[in-house]
Amino acid sequence: MSLFWIFIHHLAEVQTMATSKKLITKQEWEKKLADVKVRKEEMNKLVMNFLVTEGYVEAAEKFRLESGTEPDIDLATITDRMAVKKAVQSGNVVDAIEKVNDLNPEILDTNPQLFFHLQQQRLIELIRDGKVEEALEFAQEELAPRGEENQSFLEELERTVALLAFEDVTNCPVRDLLDISQRLKTASEVNAAILTSQSHEKDPKLPSLLKMLVWAQNQLDEKATYPRINDLSTAALEDPAV
Amino acid sequence: MPTSSASNHSSHPEDLIGRLNSAHTPYEVKLKALRDLKNQIIGNRTKKLAFLKLGAVNSVVSILSSAVVAGGWENREFYELVLVQCAAIIGSFACGLEEGVNAVLDAGAFPLLLNLITHINDKVADAGARSLKLIYQSKRAPEYDFLQEKNMEFLLSLLNSKNENVSGLGANIITHSCQTTLEQNTLSEAGVIERLVGLLRGSLIQRDASLESLASMIYGNPEVASKFLSPENGRALSVVVELIKDKQPRTRMLACMCLIYLRNASTSYLQDSEIKNKLVMILLELLDDPGQVGDEAPFVLSSLISQKEDMQKIAYDADVVDKLCENLNIFSFQPTRLQGTFLALADLCSKLECCRDRVIHLKVFKFVTEALAHDNPHVRSAACYFLRNVSRSVKNLSAGQFMNEAVAAPLVQLLFDSNESVQIAALGAISNVVVDFTAHKSLFMQFGGVKQLVQLSKSMESAIRINAVWALKNLAFLVNNKCKEEILLELTISTLSSLISDPEASVQEQALALVRNLVDGTLNSIDYVFGENGLLLHAIGKQLWSTSKVEVLIQGMYTLSNVASGNELHKEAVMDQLFPKTINDKETVLVMFMQSADSRLRTAAVWALVNLTFPSSPGACGRVTKLQNAGIVCQLKNIVNDPCLDVKLRARTALGQLIMFGDAS
Repeated sequence: MSLFWIFIHHLAEVQTMATSKKLITKQEWEKKLADVKVRKEEMNKLVMNFLVTEGYVEAAEKFRLESGTEPDIDLATITDRMAVKKAVQSGNVVDAIEKVNDLNPEILDTNPQLFFHLQQQRLIELIRDGKVEEALEFAQEELAPRGEENQSFLEELERTVALLAFEDVTNCPVRDLLDISQRLKTASEVNAAILTSQSHEKDPKLPSLLKMLVWAQNQLDEKATYPRINDLSTAALEDPAV
Repeated sequence: MPTSSASNHSSHPEDLIGRLNSAHTPYEVKLKALRDLKNQIIGNRTKKLAFLKLGAVNSVVSILSSAVVAGGWENREFYELVLVQCAAIIGSFACGLEEGVNAVLDAGAFPLLLNLITHINDKVADAGARSLKLIYQSKRAPEYDFLQEKNMEFLLSLLNSKNENVSGLGANIITHSCQTTLEQNTLSEAGVIERLVGLLRGSLIQRDASLESLASMIYGNPEVASKFLSPENGRALSVVVELIKDKQPRTRMLACMCLIYLRNASTSYLQDSEIKNKLVMILLELLDDPGQVGDEAPFVLSSLISQKEDMQKIAYDADVVDKLCENLNIFSFQPTRLQGTFLALADLCSKLECCRDRVIHLKVFKFVTEALAHDNPHVRSAACYFLRNVSRSVKNLSAGQFMNEAVAAPLVQLLFDSNESVQIAALGAISNVVVDFTAHKSLFMQFGGVKQLVQLSKSMESAIRINAVWALKNLAFLVNNKCKEEILLELTISTLSSLISDPEASVQEQALALVRNLVDGTLNSIDYVFGENGLLLHAIGKQLWSTSKVEVLIQGMYTLSNVASGNELHKEAVMDQLFPKTINDKETVLVMFMQSADSRLRTAAVWALVNLTFPSSPGACGRVTKLQNAGIVCQLKNIVNDPCLDVKLRARTALGQLIMFGDAS
């Protein structure tokens, strides 16, 4: 977050100086940037945070050895979390549920919405595999009671069961449920819940830092002309258009 | 037996439990069955109930206890896996299910789990601590006695643990069991605050647990609040203030709760308008949460605004009333949410007319009618509480907004409720609703309200008697004689006179006030106290001579005052009570009342004098003599310059009337 505040601080300085649009040359800008001190350790932490949150265990391990940055979470738990995520992504929901419960039995007990979504995904997978009878039985035994407990679950359940009513599911109004994106949605919901249970942020910090950079630039655009970063992947400073 | 073949076993509940209970099942198979059971019940209320019926908790607890022993001898690692599964299952049964908590406690799981948290294997300790934490979320968990030194040491060791589940458990125990001021102070003196402040900087689990237990320690305790704010705790307050902006909704809510309890504990903290507005805005946003946080947020909001008109105004300006009314519609199927929402609305409507108007404008009454007949007693009580406060609006009351069929019918039904606190809440609502200026009182009577109120006035429970008589009193306020007669007919003079002599002073007070309302008005209504040989009048007189409760005396004196405004017979009867034959003829309670420190009692006494000595009545002269002999004139002279204007004015009138009959020196 410190990078961002340094930026805001600059912004405020520029604001007080300029009544009309101020021009800042690349040279001036780079000089100002050179005055900004960012500690290497903090940069490393940001990178580690990204690797850990996104689940790149091997990269995180290598980065730890190379940079000496300690991850804020036990790397072994990342492997477990990734295994859960992967199980959902490949449609193996029962396996995923068992793994989550091994990891922390509280997650699904205290998160009825997530539990319902996993069960719903299991139903979707049964329907996908053409196991109609099993799907019906499962919907009745496992999902119907959840629908009784919660109005919005009931609506989602009805939508899912509707898949069984169509001959050609590829062309029905609820076909999106069979999409791979539905699996990804469920997987990321599980991922976020596990991260939260480990006192970890659900999202890496790096993307939000970039978002703040873009926002700050947009603010600054109204007050000044300056070397802008247009391509985030290269972070090249473009010459200000005079 | 290899695990692969174990997976061929049926996972049917009966078979599963059979395998767990059988002495012939190898432990490897039992472990597999335990995992299976765990995965079936987690998140699944229906399955939990089904397995509870099969006695699953007992089976698991007995495996747990034998695994503890067996693991001490051989194959430690294997038995640790069994312990983890058992603890997880027990915790899941206790999670959000009162029946489950009962079964777990009955099966004796509690001491076994306590042993696990000191286990050398962190995973076992984790599992034990998690389970205990879930049990401690229930009110049925055993109370923890902080006053025992050994217990306090153990608690501190929990709070000091590096394991987040164990230290979190320590905080959860405080949240569950810290209730009295003594407990709060004992914990604070043992240095618990410092440790909890330390946990605020820990993991999510530790932070939330710490916030919640800090709140329970600060609640209503200015001493602990100021200790929390003392410099030795560093920037603890600013940490909590930061946390009201946290990403986690639950953390935000608990941090708000902490700050609210701090500001409620003492008027010198957190009173600036910035924090007031912030708290309202954050809670307003949390009301939208679809889950547990949203269920609890209205209760936290209620603690912020209850009894505080300034906070109610800020909440009103932030459209909190609208949001709450909207939620009545969206979350109508969630009992906790309904209860909290009605409570918060009740608080908003306790003082501000603008809130009452808004609620009526938003047409919440259809929800009130439903809530009054809800399955959940807490919802019924909350709806009554809301109705009581919203009907404080004289304007809307006189417009007959509340006494219509949709409200009256279910409200009268609640007088028959099996739950006493619902009955009391309903009586509270009825008391306000029946103070009605239009003809709507008859509607209440039509639904059989009077009959049931009279029944409740004979309740063994004093709180119910008080509220029932209170409601009758308000019902009798400014009604016509027909209504009064109906009330008296149902109540009977003998019941009323025994209520005047009730063991509870508050019941006496309300009963006297009821008589006061009954005799107020026409001459005919005064006759009510003369029925059954003046039973009521004697009961009143007896109280005036025997009780020391000033509230009772005030109501008694006003009742006599009302009676003394009647004809000659009425006035003489009052004199008989003030100068009873059994006591010295020259002594009267009036003298004592006129010397009372309470100006209301002085006023009531002097009012009676004014009525008794009214010059145009034929027997006034005789009464004046009697009063003079008792030294009343002297007493009156003492209070002609009374600081209370009411007393001063009436005393002068009375003195003037006494002087007209001659020697008043």
